[in-house]
Amino acid sequence: MSRADIGRFLARQGILIAFALFIIGFTIANGRFLSPDNILGVVRSSAILGVMALGVTFVVISGHLDLSVGSMMSFSTIVVLDLHDKIGPVLAIPAMFAMTLCLGAFNGFLVGYLKLNSLIVTLGMLSAIHGLTLTYSGGKNLDIADKDGTWFDIFGQGTALGIPVPILMFLGIAALLGIVLAKTPFGRKVYAVGGNGTAATFSGIRRAHTVFICYMISSGCVAIAGVIQASRSLGSQNTVGQGLELDVLAAVILGGASLLGGSGTIFKTVIGVLILGFIQNGLLLVGLDFYVQYVVTWVIIILAVWLDIAAKRGRLWSSIA
Amino acid sequence: MRLATILTASVASIAIVAAGAAFAEAHGPKRIGITQNNVGVDSYQTTYEQAFIAAAEANADVEVVVLDAGGDVARQIAQIEDLIQQEVDAIIIWPTNGEAVIPAVRKASQAEIPVVVTNSNIAEAGFDFVSSFSGPDNITQGSRAAEIMCDRFKALGSENEARVVQISGQPGYTTAIERAKGFEDHLPEVCPNVTLVETQPGDWNREKSQQVMEAFLVKYDDIDGVYAGDDNMGVGALNAALAAGRAEGITFVGATNFAVGYEAMEKGEYWGSIYQSPVDDAEAALQTAIDLLNGEELPFLNYFDTPKITQDNMGDFTKPVF
Repeated sequence: MSRADIGRFLARQGILIAFALFIIGFTIANGRFLSPDNILGVVRSSAILGVMALGVTFVVISGHLDLSVGSMMSFSTIVVLDLHDKIGPVLAIPAMFAMTLCLGAFNGFLVGYLKLNSLIVTLGMLSAIHGLTLTYSGGKNLDIADKDGTWFDIFGQGTALGIPVPILMFLGIAALLGIVLAKTPFGRKVYAVGGNGTAATFSGIRRAHTVFICYMISSGCVAIAGVIQASRSLGSQNTVGQGLELDVLAAVILGGASLLGGSGTIFKTVIGVLILGFIQNGLLLVGLDFYVQYVVTWVIIILAVWLDIAAKRGRLWSSIA
Repeated sequence: MRLATILTASVASIAIVAAGAAFAEAHGPKRIGITQNNVGVDSYQTTYEQAFIAAAEANADVEVVVLDAGGDVARQIAQIEDLIQQEVDAIIIWPTNGEAVIPAVRKASQAEIPVVVTNSNIAEAGFDFVSSFSGPDNITQGSRAAEIMCDRFKALGSENEARVVQISGQPGYTTAIERAKGFEDHLPEVCPNVTLVETQPGDWNREKSQQVMEAFLVKYDDIDGVYAGDDNMGVGALNAALAAGRAEGITFVGATNFAVGYEAMEKGEYWGSIYQSPVDDAEAALQTAIDLLNGEELPFLNYFDTPKITQDNMGDFTKPVF
């Protein structure tokens, strides 16, 4: 590899460099940061946010937003827990998927076919779904009655080949969606719609349909996240996903997807998710006072974004862009 | 969404004012208005509202106007103003925000309507405009949790070396700050050799608390006790320890005994908590307002009792419904 090649490679992977720097920094601060137990723990607890971020990546690349994923995740968690005791896990999971996909379809219809502003639509859905969840549960916490007698805990607490199941699910879905986005005609349509919608339409791409499918993928991912969440503690509050929409969006943008649409990859979203997860965990291990943690978290995130941009343009600051 | 809220709020306000005017003309039972924080957001507040309505219905001398601010300060202020307009005899408020409601409380006080604050107190600047506070004493809850923890260590013979971590509630939230303070101040008094090694917030959230505990387990090889600001977080911490296979030697103590905490105590995995009943909370608030209207002399702070509950005495308590 010539020097220029290395330069080009580094320029494309600014966020990876930032990630590596944080890992080194936290490891120096606390030696246990890189222990296998801790790494598995962090990735496992990032898996819920991660799966949601994978779906939102599609929506963002198609040029839209999905702010409803947090309250939608509360909804799917509560519904699957409630139905678990009523009709059993085998039926509860598909029933919950069907309901959550309906919510996604509603988002997709309003944004894709009716061409409404996605910020308004999904902000409204954030509130509406929260209300729906509270109405459904009557405001009460939901817990599975017989916690020891169910196999439903496998999705959140099980392990296969020594690796926690949530991690396998996260990576599996990431691989699948990564292929869909990078290697299939549908994936190219998503980029085209987000990059230049008018041009996409003139090229014969069904724009509304593509956006609709993106929202369906997003809600499908939320449903999977809901299963992991419900299975992890076999019980839940109504507000379990509250505020996650911003973390999800932060992970996607941190990974380098453009809010304007047309760019981003699944791999980079995974890195974005891991950065958020490791920052949170690293600050806990360092034992920083928690009021300070809020500040430091965002200083680190902004630094990461800056490094990414700086690597792309080859200098730390520029008067042009 | 906003438009719908405004429309609903306007219609509701008109209905309330009209109903209020109709009521005000009739002489009858004492009318008490309540504006709650956020009914439906958790089981405690849901049970509280049901208990409040039930207690009011059981008492022929009072009529209640039950409102809910939905967690929105602006809406709560508007509700207080509505209640003033209706000329209710007393107002009970569960503050959405301890600072922002003070001007509205002041208006009520100027209109000579006594105000009772329930559950979580408002900021001290507003005390002059409030007749009475009714609710749990969070500092005592924290220090009682310290006693539960310390007694347990003594029974296990580890009171001279035990190491404790704390998972507190949402930063900036009065209840969280007071419980932590009660615990931190009292623990060294009862068990001077027990070390509180670290405190991190779990934001009243089971999942967040589980993540915090996972990090603690990585960071510390030796943890003997976990104090959580409520049972929801306590159970989150317990789940983390169970998953790591380290729950066996750890004493878990929480506050606000939830059904999940009670069940974990039944299983012998969770040691103790503070029993705080939303039914007692609601009934105490209503009774405080009635006492005030009957002209009784009340202390400013009316705490209802929140006893200790552990695996040893849990048989004396019914399982919480929330």
